[in-house]
Amino acid sequence: MAITQAMCTSFKVQLLKGQHNFTNGAHQFKLALFTESATLGATTTNFAGGAGAPNHESSGAGYTTGGANLTNVTPTSSSTTAFTSFSTPLTFSSSTITAAGALIYNTQTNGGSNTTDSVIVLNFGGNKSSNSGDFSIVFPAVNASDAIIRIQ
Amino acid sequence: MFSASTELPQTPIVTVHTTNNRGHTPEEMASLCAAQIVSVSDSAPPVIRDQAREYRNHIESVLAFYMKEAIKSDRTTVCNAIKDAGHPDLAKLIRRL
Repeated sequence: MAITQAMCTSFKVQLLKGQHNFTNGAHQFKLALFTESATLGATTTNFAGGAGAPNHESSGAGYTTGGANLTNVTPTSSSTTAFTSFSTPLTFSSSTITAAGALIYNTQTNGGSNTTDSVIVLNFGGNKSSNSGDFSIVFPAVNASDAIIRIQ
Repeated sequence: MFSASTELPQTPIVTVHTTNNRGHTPEEMASLCAAQIVSVSDSAPPVIRDQAREYRNHIESVLAFYMKEAIKSDRTTVCNAIKDAGHPDLAKLIRRL
């Protein structure tokens, strides 16, 4: 049981096939939260939800299974590095949630609908909890050195 | 051969900010916002790094001020909407928050 931060291998393959579009307003990506009991990593190919075993998705007030929509930042480049990210922060308001990591997935892979293809597994470095408050995930600055998705 | 690196470090690359029984304050949101506008590496030349950090502090205080103003302004709008809907007592409570 572990959440290992990684860019999913299946995503890398799909990226080379041109199946993910991060342009603002293009594909809808989502972020789902998981407890420390979840098993996620580079080999995760799809989002699988539900509180408790076997998927251990987070649950509680202010959170619905599947997580929340992300807003794409259109990819750009600086020097020889291409990068993209999502609008930040992503906030689950008035929530009571505990999570140790997250999975970003694409709901429109290759132009489809209701897809669940994994993109990135994020580890928060331990359990984080909100109690009738905000649970905000802040992405790094959108630049060639820090952006969450970079090809360099 | 061409290779493109897309690997992630094992240390957390996102930060999580949570609150208990309240939302984020304007100062907390301004801090998050300023960090997106101005970022500088710890290994940058000290003169540049210090100047960037001073600038970020200034941006943060300006953002916090205008966020507070925006909240006050929005609360005025909300109070008037509630009063117009026939709940003057509730409007008064919200105005006092």
